[in-house]
Order: sequence, then structure tokens, then C-alpha cells
Amino acid sequence: MNVDMRDTHRSFGKNRAVAGVDLQLGTGVFGLLGPNGAGKTSLLRMLATVLPPTSGEIRLLGRDPRGAAARREIRRRLGYLPQSLGYYPSFTVVEFIEYFALLKEMPSSAIPGAVAAAVERVDLGAKARAKLRTLSGGMLRRVGIAQAIVNNPDLLLLDEPTAGLDPEQRVHFRGLLRSLGGNSTVVVSTHLVEDVGTACSEVALMSAGRIVFRGTPDELTARGAGHEVGDAPLERGYSAVLAEARS
Amino acid sequence: MSVLSVPPARPAPPRLAPPGLVRALWLEFKRSAMPYLLPPLAVYFYYDAIRTADGYAPVWPLRTSVVSHLVFYFSVVGGGLAAWVGAREGHRKTADLLATTPRAAWSRLSVALAGTLCWVLLAFLSFAAVLYVQTALQATWGGPPLWPVSVGAATVTMATVTGFTCGAVFPGRFTAPLIVLGLTVLFEIGFRESELVRVSPAGRAPSGNHALPSPGGVPLQVSVFHDLSYGTYALLSPLHSPPAVDAGVYYRVAPDLSIVQVMFMGGIAVALFGLLGLAAGLRAPGSAGGWPARLVAVVLVACGVAASWTGFTLAGTAQRDAVTGGWEIPALHSAASDQPVAATPDCTAAGSFQVCVAPALSFDLRAVAAELDPVAAEIAGLPGAPTRAEEVATMNGGKTVMARISGNPPVFEFTTDHVDAVDTQPDGNSDLTGWRTGFPQGLLDAFLAGPSPAAGLTPAQQAVGDALLAAVGAQPVAQVPGPLQPLSASAAAQRTEVAAAAQRFEALPAGTRHAWLATHLAALRSGKITAAQLP
Repeated sequence: MNVDMRDTHRSFGKNRAVAGVDLQLGTGVFGLLGPNGAGKTSLLRMLATVLPPTSGEIRLLGRDPRGAAARREIRRRLGYLPQSLGYYPSFTVVEFIEYFALLKEMPSSAIPGAVAAAVERVDLGAKARAKLRTLSGGMLRRVGIAQAIVNNPDLLLLDEPTAGLDPEQRVHFRGLLRSLGGNSTVVVSTHLVEDVGTACSEVALMSAGRIVFRGTPDELTARGAGHEVGDAPLERGYSAVLAEARS
Repeated sequence: MSVLSVPPARPAPPRLAPPGLVRALWLEFKRSAMPYLLPPLAVYFYYDAIRTADGYAPVWPLRTSVVSHLVFYFSVVGGGLAAWVGAREGHRKTADLLATTPRAAWSRLSVALAGTLCWVLLAFLSFAAVLYVQTALQATWGGPPLWPVSVGAATVTMATVTGFTCGAVFPGRFTAPLIVLGLTVLFEIGFRESELVRVSPAGRAPSGNHALPSPGGVPLQVSVFHDLSYGTYALLSPLHSPPAVDAGVYYRVAPDLSIVQVMFMGGIAVALFGLLGLAAGLRAPGSAGGWPARLVAVVLVACGVAASWTGFTLAGTAQRDAVTGGWEIPALHSAASDQPVAATPDCTAAGSFQVCVAPALSFDLRAVAAELDPVAAEIAGLPGAPTRAEEVATMNGGKTVMARISGNPPVFEFTTDHVDAVDTQPDGNSDLTGWRTGFPQGLLDAFLAGPSPAAGLTPAQQAVGDALLAAVGAQPVAQVPGPLQPLSASAAAQRTEVAAAAQRFEALPAGTRHAWLATHLAALRSGKITAAQLP
């Protein structure tokens, strides 16, 4: 069990972003769906050890992140792509990824190979020496994914990873997700339900800080039977569950 | 979940593994914005520092005082750049991403700070090296003093750490410009407080002119330094006016003030670095690095404040050195600093008259000898006429030294102001004319006034001096156009009388003048001969 959250709450003043989430995850790709403001990013930031919960318990990779030593060890084995990727424009693709590999305290000898592999996995080999300021939004997103996977993480957290990617790259990325989920826990927060349908083995839907559905993509699709909102079957399931949660 | 189900931890690399940190430092260094700032800095360096230094005599302490120019602009630029780098996690929105890495925030920020600091220091030291090489190629004696560079490096470091810490704590877009502005104001205040006003009236004062009191002899091109205000802050400021030309030539430059400045600046830098650690922990508690890091940060803040406070307190005890006239800190002062520098003077002799200067100033020996030799020849063989001219320090026992003739055989002692005269004046103009007239006149004044001079020369002495100067083709100071005060009616009449007597005496054949002086010199010196009685 790489993620174990029990009755986790997170509030910002009077605003309850996460309201009593229980979540246990092993290896595999886990999709996190929900409308804007549902609490997905707050949940991901708690999993990334950036945001401590207001109450409840979290154990990541078998450790309690409240302890400094445990948190440090968790972070060594963590990959995180935030919704809005900040970057240093003067760094090249390779340098930026290497910089994060160094901050993740990877063994120095392993870094060059790991960086090269990460660059290849996101199909940025041709742009490896390009400065970040020269890249398009989609390429920057792939750089963000590369820095997240450079340490071959046991827990990979991706917030809107396919935003800005062209269709070809999204297909490529889904394949990457499936391969990563083979021996890691991958949590993907997204608005794009087709990503979830093709890449995720399990999916959760959040609304108002709570998980209102958890199951496989097929189960979510099934919940949409007879529901009219949505173009694709999975979208209809998504809309049906949300409508039910709000009613 | 049982304990057995906890996945094993990956073998942790040694903390602060040098290769990783060194590589991260290299990335920061490689991608610093400092190289883009170097070309404009180099242009400014050439037009400001190099040209200023070129205007100074090639004497090490004088030339290396120009390092303070570098300190100013490298501190301001370094502080601004560091503030920008320190604030980048905020304005580049990388804080969240970086917070998920195991490296403590302080460690990460330290690498970024070190990358910037390396550039700033490297550039500062390179530019200072250019100044030193320029001086080494022209200086005739001595070696490069390291204290100006040490103080400069400490100040630049302090400014860079200040900028970085402010940027990291207040990561706004306006932090860097505000730091640049703040540092500029701080340096300007320090400089203004420590500024010296140099007044250099010259020569004698025949009729209420710009004479200086001359209790120990006749003043010769004396430069007087007034301390406008020497608060503790001013003493700690690395920016200052150039020192006297003979600083470090006759007496060692005591490092007291430099030690205190390094202590003060270094203390601030260390304290702010500790503060950066504490602030990083407060801003990202999850990346604080645990209590050992906080403890180290607190210790650094305490040590830095202690060093800085000690430096400030010591600077408050500074007093003028009784021997050299420089600043000394009693708690740090070494008596060895007051010992004269052992150096064999450089001499030249045209006939029987020998002129000697300190080896550091031997580049000026020919010019000095060329001015003194003709006048010395005019009075050669007369009672009390010097057979030798020797340069001495402008300060002795804490008092300004006046040019005079003393000893047996008589020696004309002159101070190093002749170099100042060649040097660029505070208004940016050279005073070569003033020097060429005032310098030989100093010899004549000292000769004609005798061993126990009164408050000034008598009209007869002035007339003889003017005549002898005119005979060798020099113009008396009183006739040199300059910002002289208006003369009263009696003074004007006296000047007319002196001029007429001088013309009469100059018109005499050289042999006749010499013979008359041989006969009447004692009476002339004692003031018993009037201008009207001159032949």
C-alpha cells in the first residue's frame, strides 16, 4: 500500500478543500476526476507532502510524512507534476531535469543515465539542449513530466499532465502512464475523461472535497447508462455521478 | 499495516554529497545572468576605475584605493542580481515543485546563492586584478596590498547575501530594484559621511594671501584634510576618498580599520545567511531540514551578529594614529604598524646637489630634480644652502610636516605633495603649474627664512626669492593666476614694492647677486634689510 489516507481533511480558513477522504492505493494508475474546486489539487498536494492535512492521517510509501526523516525518504521516492509548472527559462531541458534529479538526492553516478532516459520517455531527445524559454507549452509540459519521473518514483503524482499536449503526444503519454503503473502508484488528476478511460486501472471522482465515486472506468461508464449529459459514455457516467452527488 | 509491509528505504546517499551539490552549483553558475551584466560593468569599469587610477600616481595604496569604486558597483549589481535569484522561486512559481524534493530549502537556496556569489566575487576579483596589474606595471616600489581587496570582497559578499535573503523572504518583482536603490543609498550615505575635503592652498602668503601657519618651517604645497564627520558608520564604510600619497610609503598602513570592516561586513553576511535558513524553514516548514538545520541557522545568526557588533564597537574606539596620522583601533593596533618602512631612497645628483625621493616615488625623481637643481645652483655655497634635498613623510608624530632646511650639512626636506600636484586634483584638474612654481619656491623660502623663521617672509626676503626664481625662469606663486583673495590697499602697495625690488635684484649679474647674498644673508634672514635696501 503506497497511499493510505484516513478521514483526511484540509481547510483554508472557512473553505473546506478536502473533507474526510479515505483512500488506499497500491501500484497502478489511479485517475482522479472532478469539477473545478472539487479538491483534487489540494488532495494531490497533500500526497506530495507540500500541504499537511488539517486533520486525519496520511501514510505514504509506508511512512508518516509528519516526521522529517520519513518525509525526506518519501520525497526521494516521489515524483510530482504540479498543475502550473514553474521553470527557469535559462536552463536547458537536460539541465532542468538534472537539477531536479540532484534535488531528489539521486546518486550522482546514476543521474546522467536517468536524465537521458527521462528525456527519451517524453520524446524530447531532439530538444534536449534547447533552453526552456524556447519551448512550446506542450513541450514544457513534457519537461515537467520528465522531471517527475527522472527518479523512477514509487509514487507519481500528476496534476493535469496532458494539458497542452497534442493528440499524438497524449496517446504516447497514456502508454507511458501504463508502463509506469506497472510497479508504481500513479495518481493522475485530470479533467479529460478519455485519459482516464484508456490509461487508468481505477478512478475516483471528487466533489466538494469528498470522493463520491471509486471504481474502474468501466464501472463509471456503467453509471452513465440512461444519463443524457455528455458525448462519450465515460462522460455520461461522470455527469451522472456528479448530478447524484449534488442532489 | 505491519512493520514488515513497509517497503525498504532506498539507500540514502550521504547527506550533502559533494558531487551532487557541486554539480548543482555548476548548473547555477552556468545559468547565472551575471555574464550578461559583465559587458556594461566592464565599460563602466574602464571609464570610471581604470581612468581614475590612471590619474593617480603609481603608488600602491593610492592606486588600490580605487578598489572602492569596484566595491560600490559590484555590491549594488550583485545585491540586485542576488535579490532577483533569491526571489525566483516566488516569481517563477517553482516553490510547490521544489518543496516536494528531499533537499532542504536552505540547502537549495544556499546553492543558488553560492552560484550568484561565485560570479559576483569572481568578476570583482578579476576587475580588481586588472587594477593591480596596471599598478604593478607602473609602480616603482612596494607590493600589492591585500586589505582593500579583502574589505571589498567582504562588502560585496555582504551585499549579495543581503539581496538574496531579501529576495527569498520577499519574493516580489520589485524586490531587486528596491535592493539596488537601497544599497546605493546606503553606500552614498557612508561615503558622504566619510568624505574628506581636500584643501590645497600653496606656498607663502606675502600680503594676507592664502598663507598657512608655519610653526615648524615654511609650508610647501601643503594639503590639509578636514574630517567633516567621522561617525562609526562612516569609518565602517568601504567607500572613501583616496589616501595621502605617502600612505604606505614611509609608514605601513595599519590594517586595524580594514580588520574591523571585514568583521562588520562578514558578520552581517553570516547573520543574514543564518536568517535565510530560518526564513526558509518558516516559509516551507516541511522543507526546513529539521532541528539541526535550525540550530545551525540560529548559531550563524548569533555569531554573525556578535562579529558585526564587535566590529561596530571596535570602530567606535578608532582614533588617529599619533605617528602616521592614520586610523588605529587600540584593541587591534600593532606597534609594528607605526614603524617606518625601511627602504633605500632613490637619488640623483646634478653636480654637487643631490635629490632623493622614496623608492615608491622614484618615477617622479627626475621632475623633482629638474625643478630644484637650478634654484640650488643659485644659492650654492652660501651659508645654510642645502647640498641635498630629501623627501620626507607628510606626517610625522601625527603632525603635518612642513618643508624646511635642517641639519649640518644642510638638507632641504620636502614632503610628498609634489606627487599630489602631478596627480589629478579633487576638481579633476591637474595642478602642474602650481607645483612647478611652488616647489622650488619652497626651497628658496626655507633658505631665506633661515633656521628659525617668523610667521612669514619679510618683503625683502620675498623680493630676493622672487628674483632668484625669475633668474631660473620660474614664476613666483604670488604672480601665478589663481583664486587669490582681494588685496587690501596696503598689501597691494607692499606687493608693488616687493616686485620692484625683485626686478632690481634680478637685473644684477648672477655673480653680483651671489656675492651680495654671501655678505648680507644673515641680515636678510634676521629681517634687518628692507625691500628698498636691496641693490
